[in-house]
Amino acid sequence: MRAHGISRGKAAAERGGHALMPNLFILVLQVAVVLTACRLTGTLFKKFQQPRVVGEMFAGIMLGPSFLGWIAPHFSAYLFPASSLGFLNALSQIGVIIFMFLVGMNINPKELAKEGHAAVLSSHVSITAPFVLAAFLALYLYPRLSDDSVAFSSFALFMGAAMSITAFPVLARILQERKMMHSRLGTVAIACAAVDDVTGWIILAYIVVLIRSAHSTTSIWVTLGGIIVFAVVMIYGVQRLLQGVFLKAYEKWGHLSENRMAFMMLLVLASALCTERLGIHLLFGAFLMGAIMPKEPVFVRYVLDRFETITVTLLLPLFFAFTGLRTNIALVKGPTMWMYCGLIILVATAGKLGGSTIAARFSGMPLREAAGLGTLMNARGLMELVILDVGLDIGVISPALFSMMVVMALVTTFMTTPVLNLICPKEYLEASGEKMSVESVSAQTPSLQETGVA
Amino acid sequence: MARLKACPDTNRTHTTRVSGATQGRNAISHTNRNFVLAYVFLVALPILGLVGILKRGRSLSAPFSVDGAWKIEPGNLPASACGNFLTSVSNAPLSISQSGQSLVVTLSGGTKTTTGTLEGKTIKAQFTGASDTGQCGDGALTLAATLDPMAEPRTLSGTLSVEGCASSSCAPMEFRAVRQPRSAGGTR
Repeated sequence: MRAHGISRGKAAAERGGHALMPNLFILVLQVAVVLTACRLTGTLFKKFQQPRVVGEMFAGIMLGPSFLGWIAPHFSAYLFPASSLGFLNALSQIGVIIFMFLVGMNINPKELAKEGHAAVLSSHVSITAPFVLAAFLALYLYPRLSDDSVAFSSFALFMGAAMSITAFPVLARILQERKMMHSRLGTVAIACAAVDDVTGWIILAYIVVLIRSAHSTTSIWVTLGGIIVFAVVMIYGVQRLLQGVFLKAYEKWGHLSENRMAFMMLLVLASALCTERLGIHLLFGAFLMGAIMPKEPVFVRYVLDRFETITVTLLLPLFFAFTGLRTNIALVKGPTMWMYCGLIILVATAGKLGGSTIAARFSGMPLREAAGLGTLMNARGLMELVILDVGLDIGVISPALFSMMVVMALVTTFMTTPVLNLICPKEYLEASGEKMSVESVSAQTPSLQETGVA
Repeated sequence: MARLKACPDTNRTHTTRVSGATQGRNAISHTNRNFVLAYVFLVALPILGLVGILKRGRSLSAPFSVDGAWKIEPGNLPASACGNFLTSVSNAPLSISQSGQSLVVTLSGGTKTTTGTLEGKTIKAQFTGASDTGQCGDGALTLAATLDPMAEPRTLSGTLSVEGCASSSCAPMEFRAVRQPRSAGGTR
């Protein structure tokens, strides 16, 4: 089998076509192995009351140099040869582009306004507290884990953005599983997570522009101006067009034709290409297109149902695997490096969980609910991996720091359910009237959260 | 409220309601005040702190960047087993992945990988068992180089040597390496 793969690879190389054509046998084998590993691990984690996504993230790391590459280096080198990773990455990035579009679709800016002071204060504090603490930690980590090609401000801002992000879909999934989606805690948590993610992505866009402009001949002001013009056109122009093209058609016929669905995908790709061309990243365009889509719950659910099955079951596991291949826990070597990793987890948790809890308590939430909100906000999940991947791509974080941050994402997401069970057990929620009826939840919850991507 | 005022019998109720409304307004204003105070302490002040941190961070210095691919320009070596080995090793680019002072150094197109360190401008890395021909002692290959951070692109100059080689012709090979340009989108 190995000889077969190598001989095909050599033959392709001899034809000079190895850079253009993937070794299909290896690529299909990779997809099969990744799917199997992610499904099995996801199912196993579900048995321990963890969202499937935590298991899939874990499976991705196991397939990388941290485990498979360590215990079976030859098999790992055969299964994931360096020459094949470009194709795996391309497939996974398409998955992430669609995923970011779906996340954007789930975000409804009106949710925040409905929740009043509690949500405004909690969401803003849940950004500023981890952000400032992360920047403070950056003072310590920058001379130790970075290098002089990265400016301190970029490093600190990236650390802040990465630590202040919340796994919006994971959070929604947990709320749905606990039938808390429409409780006070649930609605405030969803609103806060939406604000956190939008803010985090705006800050990240700024950092990407800063770093890319250093390597580009285009002035940063031209880039920033272009981004603002693009955003204004999207929000005030394209958004109205979307109402007519998609929502009215859906309301009229009860479904969207294949042509309209293809047009929607085309718009997502066009938006992604615009933001990439403007010097930020493909993902921002996809996210923005999702955010300006019509927010009628039935329409949102319809679109999510059409896109997410393939994205969630096929493409996102490839992203987990690719991220896992870039994560090398062996780089976190020795007590000092593990101390850095522990500090990152501590600061991330103190900032997000602590900050959100204090803010919610100030807003008049009972202590348990406030702590529950903090715990939910502390889950980072897949969104964190997406941000970290961008950070590693643009070179603002080093491979060792990337691995530490992946560990932090895993730990904070993993701890969410058990800590929530401890702080807000079902009995407490039932006694305080927080539990919602199954019917009301299932009728309104977007299906992105049902699938476990959560 | 106007209807209540018009009815003399409800004066007491009116007073009570007015008092209730006043209390409500007070409560709202109390809540607003708390909100503003909380916002100032929990959001505005930390943002000011962030500005201070960013200013403080400007004075920090991080290790020199050596991350990336380096094209090796080998020096001349006499034809010998070790000489041939060192020349073959230096034919492919040197690749360095950096995390602060910790390095992962790769030679020979990815076939030889080890960890190394960066101390100031000096890079040190040792590849154990790198020479599998058995003609160069135990085959431990040592890379030692000094960075010229002022050069653009950055350059390294140093030596590649094989430890434990008994042959007199097995002298360390001097080399110079030039860092290859990074892509605009991805640097690592």
